Amino acid sequence: MRAPAQATAMIEIDHVSQTFQTSARQDHLALSDISLTVEDGAFVSILGPSGCGKSTLLYIVGGFVSPTQGAARMKGKAITGPGPDRGPVFQEFALFPWKTVLGNVMYGPRQQGVKAAEAEAQCRALIEMVGLKGFEDFYPKELSGGMKQRVALARTLAYHPEVLLMDEPFGALDAHTRTRLQNDLLNIWERDRKTVLFVTHSVEEAVFLSDKVVMMTRSPGRIREIIDIDLPRPRRRSELLLDPRYQKYVVDIERMFDDGGAQGGTL
Amino acid sequence: MRSRFISGTRAAPWLACLGLLVIWQIAALALKNDSFPTALAAIRAIPLILGDKEALINILASQRRMTIGFVVAIIVSIPLGLMMGRSRAVASFFNPLLMVIYPVPKAALMPIIMLWLGVGDLSKTLVIFLGVSLPVIYHSFEGAKSVEEKMLWSGAAMGLSAAERMVRIVLPAALPEILTGCRTGLVLALITMVTSEMIARQSGAGNILFNALDMGEYDLVFAMIIIIGAMGICLDAMFETLRRRLVRWSEPQFDMPLSFS
Repeated sequence: MRAPAQATAMIEIDHVSQTFQTSARQDHLALSDISLTVEDGAFVSILGPSGCGKSTLLYIVGGFVSPTQGAARMKGKAITGPGPDRGPVFQEFALFPWKTVLGNVMYGPRQQGVKAAEAEAQCRALIEMVGLKGFEDFYPKELSGGMKQRVALARTLAYHPEVLLMDEPFGALDAHTRTRLQNDLLNIWERDRKTVLFVTHSVEEAVFLSDKVVMMTRSPGRIREIIDIDLPRPRRRSELLLDPRYQKYVVDIERMFDDGGAQGGTL
Repeated sequence: MRSRFISGTRAAPWLACLGLLVIWQIAALALKNDSFPTALAAIRAIPLILGDKEALINILASQRRMTIGFVVAIIVSIPLGLMMGRSRAVASFFNPLLMVIYPVPKAALMPIIMLWLGVGDLSKTLVIFLGVSLPVIYHSFEGAKSVEEKMLWSGAAMGLSAAERMVRIVLPAALPEILTGCRTGLVLALITMVTSEMIARQSGAGNILFNALDMGEYDLVFAMIIIIGAMGICLDAMFETLRRRLVRWSEPQFDMPLSFS
């Protein structure tokens, strides 16, 4: 069970709003007055229908996008840009296609000045951990979607970010691959319990993985409800799917979205 | 099965060349025109050019101008194109300029350039430089523009500065497109090299060709065309070998015959 002696805030999102200019030169309010605290070591999912600005919220924490109003902080310090303390994993994988699997994973450590031999040893171990032993010298174009996302995860883990920012990482994968990657992510996460901010539109995925699910409304994105997922860890899919508590969370959350006018099931 | 397929595609370009020569030979024999020598006569005239010290010096001078023009052009054009691709401000400054220059045949600028810089190496090299620059800028621009934003974000999260992202992410990611531009540029370098020498008749491969034409030595004219053509094919094949080595990671997994793809 996860019971940190005292929960310290890792990430604070403080009254953040985000306005975009559309191609018709109209202002579009994507996020409206979001405040959220993510505690150290927590697995928090942001769940919402597409277009609710949940990815934008993640990009703000990543420092890739500056909020129009409000501020985001990491360990009390204002976030002004990207940094290796926050490691993104994108739905599009965003691997470097000119680098091999090993080259991709070694990129971060090498950038941080880790010696080549040392970085290689660590990265080979990481590649094995994400289940890609034997594929070290393959180029991204030679890999399937699921394998690419495994590489992307290893590449981010390799530079030891304190927070993982996962932007619908399994959204582009088929159902079977998706399930396997969820299981593997959970196994990896349960070893060192990094803080994770995980964006998804799948209710089951959010409940299965998270300590806390942040439900967002349709555009403009507001926080609708924050639900603590009180399910035992380590979680096993086979046990969890049969667990009435898990089922109740899924059904309750889906029902809440239905009330809000969204379609049920996958949002 | 596979090996036969490969040897078949290897031989195809040579067969095509041979076929062309045969048709040429027959056509020339049939037409019996003084200004249209047979393929054999033209081929026999090749050693006359390559054996002549003066002519060799001329051809080497052409190649030197072409190399300098090409190399300087890619050194200037790649960074410019990449910056245009990543910065709207840079792009909107240079785009109108390039749009004006793009459709102008660079050789048409030759008389003016000659007026300013004389008929020497400088004018000719400058025209080659201009001819090569535009496709290289254009392709570098397009390549840089289409680099995935998330790839740059991933680099930024690893601590790469804006300049480092330019050199270590935008450049390699755009490399296949850049090299496509360079390949077009290489062919244009050869074309502008010959045309510049046709206009500023002083030395070079184009000059040999036109002197022979003036003298009515049609064997030599056609021999020179073969030599220039062969130079083009060799340069292109060399470049293609280099290109493939550099961007193997982006190539589809089948081979195209020689460099005619």
